[in-house]
This record gives sequence, C-alpha cells and structure tokens, in this order.
Amino acid sequence: MTGSQPVSIVMIEDDEGHARLIEKNIRRAGVSNEILPFTNGTDAVNYLFGADGSAKVSKNRALLILLDLNLPDMTGIDILRRVKSNDILKRVPVVILTTTDDAQEIQRCYDLGCNVYITKPVDYENFAQAIRQLGLFFSVIQVPA
Amino acid sequence: MVSFTQAFERYWQPALLSVAFLILVGIGVIAASLAEQADTNARQVADSISLQKTLGNLLLTIRRAESGQRGYVITVDRGYLDDYRSGETQVAQILEQIRQAFQGHPTREAELAQLRDNVAAKFDELDAVVELVDGGRLDKARDVVRTNRGRDLMVEISNGVTRMMEEEDRTLATRSQVLINSNRNLLYILLIGVALIVGIGVLAVAIVQRTNRARHRAIVEMESTNANLETIISHRTADLTEANEEIQRFAYIVSHDLRSPLVNVMGFTKELDGLRDDLINEIAGMRDTRPVAAEAQDAPAGDRIAAISKEFDEALGFIKTSIAKMDRLINAILRLSREGRREFTPEHIDMKTLIGNIEKTLSHQASEKGTAINIGNLPPIESDRLALEQIFSNLMDNALKYLRPGTPGQIDIGGQETATLVTYEVRDNGRGIDPADHQRIFDLFRRAGPQDVPGEGIGLAHVRALVRRLGGYMGVSSEPGRGSIFTITLPKRFGTRGERKTA
Repeated sequence: MTGSQPVSIVMIEDDEGHARLIEKNIRRAGVSNEILPFTNGTDAVNYLFGADGSAKVSKNRALLILLDLNLPDMTGIDILRRVKSNDILKRVPVVILTTTDDAQEIQRCYDLGCNVYITKPVDYENFAQAIRQLGLFFSVIQVPA
Repeated sequence: MVSFTQAFERYWQPALLSVAFLILVGIGVIAASLAEQADTNARQVADSISLQKTLGNLLLTIRRAESGQRGYVITVDRGYLDDYRSGETQVAQILEQIRQAFQGHPTREAELAQLRDNVAAKFDELDAVVELVDGGRLDKARDVVRTNRGRDLMVEISNGVTRMMEEEDRTLATRSQVLINSNRNLLYILLIGVALIVGIGVLAVAIVQRTNRARHRAIVEMESTNANLETIISHRTADLTEANEEIQRFAYIVSHDLRSPLVNVMGFTKELDGLRDDLINEIAGMRDTRPVAAEAQDAPAGDRIAAISKEFDEALGFIKTSIAKMDRLINAILRLSREGRREFTPEHIDMKTLIGNIEKTLSHQASEKGTAINIGNLPPIESDRLALEQIFSNLMDNALKYLRPGTPGQIDIGGQETATLVTYEVRDNGRGIDPADHQRIFDLFRRAGPQDVPGEGIGLAHVRALVRRLGGYMGVSSEPGRGSIFTITLPKRFGTRGERKTA
C-alpha cells in the first residue's frame, strides 16, 4: 500500500480461526501492513469511534476495514452504517467479507456505501485464493490519509 | 358477584314475580269477599228500611180501614164499607210480608204473633160493629164503640208497631255501621292493592330493564366480536408472518453458523497439508541443507522446526475448537427442537412458589454480587411447570448476569392479570440493551452488548420459543445504562389461545 502513512487493516471477524486464516493469506500475498483483529463489534466500534463515539480518535489514522456481517454482539451492517455516516470515517474503504450471499443483503451493503462485498467461499481453496487476491488488491489500493 | 347475579336472575326473578302475583290474587280474593259482604250489608240495610216502611204502612192501613168503618157506622154508606174491606185485605197482605221478613227470628216472631192477635182483635171489634150497623142496631153499635175497647186495641197495635220500628231502627244503625266498616275495609284493601300493583309494576319494569340491559350488553359484545374478527384474523396473520420470518432467519443463522466452523476445519486441514510439505522439505533440507519455505529462509533450522510445530499446534487447535463449536451448535439446535416437540402438561401453578424456588437456587450468586431479588404480586396460572421454570430461570439468570458495574443489582419480578391473560414482568436495573438489538437478542446464537460474560446466545431464543408455544408472547423494553424489563403475557389457562408449534 502506498501513501504517506502505513495503512492499518481493521479486521472485524468474530471467528478467531477465520481471522487467523485471513491474516495468513493476506500475508502470503505479500501485504505486511499492521492488522488489528477484533472479535466483536463493540471493541471494534470503541477503537474506531473512541469513547465519546465521535470518531475523533480516527482523525489521523489511515485505515481499511475488513468487516464480517455476523458478529456476536451486533450486526456488521450497523457498523457499516455508522462508519459511512460519520464525517471522519466515511471515506475509509470497507470490505465486507462474510458467509452471506443473500442478494438483498449485498444490495443493502452497497446502498449503505460499502466498497467491496466478498462472500467467503466454503471451499478453503477458493477462500484462500480469494483472500490472497484481496491481499494483492490491498497492496495497490489507495486509502485517503 | 357474577354467579350471584346469575342465580338471582335464574331463581329469584321468577320467585319474586310469583310471590307478587300471589299477593295480587290474595288482594283480589279479599276485595271480592269484602265487596260481597258489603253487598249483603247493603241489602240488609235496604231490607230494614223497607220493613220500617211496611210497618208504617201497616199502621196507616189499619187506621184507614178503621176510618172507613167509622164512616160506614156514621153514614151507613156502602162506599165506606168497601174502603174498610179493602183495608182489611191489605192489612192481611202486609202482615204476611212482615211475617216473611221476621221468619227465623223467634223473638220477633213472638212479637209479631202478639201484634197479629191485637190486629185480629181490632178487626173482630170493627166487624162486630159493622154487623150491628148492618142489622140496623145503631145504638148497640155505638155502645160497642163507647166501650173504648177498639181505641185501646188501636193504641196497643200502635205501640207494638212503634216498638218494632224502634227495634228495626237499632238493627238499621248496626247494619249501617257494619256497611260503613266493610266499605272502608274494602277501600283500604283496594288502596293497598293499588300500591302493591304499582310496586310490583315498578319491580317488573326494573327486572325487564335489567334483562334488557344484559341482553343489550350481550348484543354489543357480539357485535364488537364480529367487528373484531377481522382484526383478530389480521393479528393472527401478522403472527404467522412473524413466525415465518423467524423460521427464515433461523435457517439462515443455522446455515451460516454451521458453515463458519467448517471453513476453519477445512482451512486448517489445508494449512496442515502445507505444513506437512514444509516439514518434509525441512527434513530433506537437514540432509542436503537446501533452502526451504520462503517465510523461514533466514531462520536457523531449529527455529524453523519450532515455528512449524507451533503452526501445527495452532492448526490442530482451531480444528478441534471448530469441531467442538459445531458440536455445541448442533446440540443447541437439537435441544431447541426437542423442546419444541415436548408435550406440555398444564397444571395449576402458584407462581410465587415457583419464582421463590428459582430465587433460592440463585440466592448464593445474588448475594455474592450484592443483588437483591424482590418478588412482588404474582397471579397464579394454569400452564406447564417445566416450561415456566425454564423461562423464568433464564430471565432471572440473565438479569443477574448483565449487571451495571458500580450499581448494586435490583431484580423485581411482578405481575398482573386480566380476565383471560396473565402478564409477568422481570425488571432489572442492569446495563440495558440498545434498542437496535431488541429483536436480535431473541435470535439463536446472537447476543448484544459487550461480550464480557460467557454465553452461547441460546437462552432468550429458547425462552421466546417456549412462550410462543405456551400461547403467549413476550417483549422487552430497555435502555442502555437504565435496565431492562422483560414482559411475558400468557393465557391464564394453557390452550385457551391455541398452541403454536415452533420451528
């Protein structure tokens, strides 16, 4: 990834196994950026929006969000909506990575402003490949500073 | 109160009306007999008056006969004799009338006999004088008159008649008094009768109005039921739609949640596969010191082996936990499905005791956390005991689990009832639930808020499924940082609203 500041990947994924697999495959694509794993929505929201919920803490962060929709404590859609309606965070690229392939759900995410929607393949080979390609994508993507 | 009114209507109304009717009949009979008596009395009074007239007439007729006889004696004119004779005949007729009136009264009959004797004697004297005149012996006739016997007899007759008239006056006075009394009694009875008729009329009108009101209420109720039918149907349809949506959400959640661990199992198996290649290469490399996996090129061989071993452990660990997780999920689904098939056995349940027992099992945990559990008014219910125990122990356990840090916990369980429904409430002052999550908390495997307390996200899904099957519904009202209120509304008697099987 290019830019004045190294981009941190905020990975919101409740399944630790999935998180580990995603991380491994992103690394295999040659992406060495910091990955911040969150296993539930609350912690991720706290990190992104800060204690006061204003997201001022994220003002000088260069971020990319990797978001699962099915979280134990809230839905990823809620996080997406909050990110995209916040003045500071709205330009942060959000990649939805989830098991859901429901057409309505996909449409809803794009309506809310998600940048990429990827369905987690059940087959691991495809899954690993998709993540690695995503990693390659990350390595060329431009993120607003 | 209801049963009393029904009993009143069923037994007392006809009884009351029958009694009123009997009183009316009684009044009628009494009035009729009094009227009859008054009639008799009036006739007796009339008899007395006519008897007095007859007595007066008797005296008058005797005097007229006497004066006819005197006229004849003085003038020897046969016309006067005719007056006398007709007077004699009339007197006999009048005496016969009086005899009939006096029949059955021995003292008066005796008096009458005396009178008749005197009258007979008088006419004998008169006849004797007439005979002497007929024979031309006027002097003799004058002598007979001069004896004053005729006058004396007349005085006696007059006295007798006067006595009789006086006697009849007394009788008349008594009879008049009796007549006045009986007329007054008749008036009183009639007045009482009128008052009773008015009273019974008012009562009857009141009863009829009551019955009419009850009928009117029933009609209104029926009409509103009819009018509500459509609303009821639309409610049921909404219920079914909601249940259908829930089934779809359930199917989606189950497929997603079961898929996730599978991705891990396959993913890490593949990782192991890769690691095996690395390991073989490593072993081969130990022999010919050929460089192996790209990531581990710079590290010494021992570290590389250790790294591979660590990754091996990690991969196996994820596979094991994923399999365990799948097992847990499948078991949870199985349990839910079994619960959905269990037959309910409704029984009368004292909710105070049931909640009290749950409180006892939680009391240790509660006192450890400094939480007070307060059991308020809890109406009894006829439902399935096990289901209710599971519902309330889940809710109370949740209330105890999700406290607000820094605030001593307070859990209140209360309830109220309507004619057919019972509503129970579990209220806490815990950390509360964000309104966005109010539906989500009832979904299987879904939780809300900070994940600082272990749990699977099964409890509330299970509770709601049970409440649904019991024919009720549940809701939550909650605000983050203020506490939560879980409300459960159930039919007072299980089966009265209709059981719904859950998916």
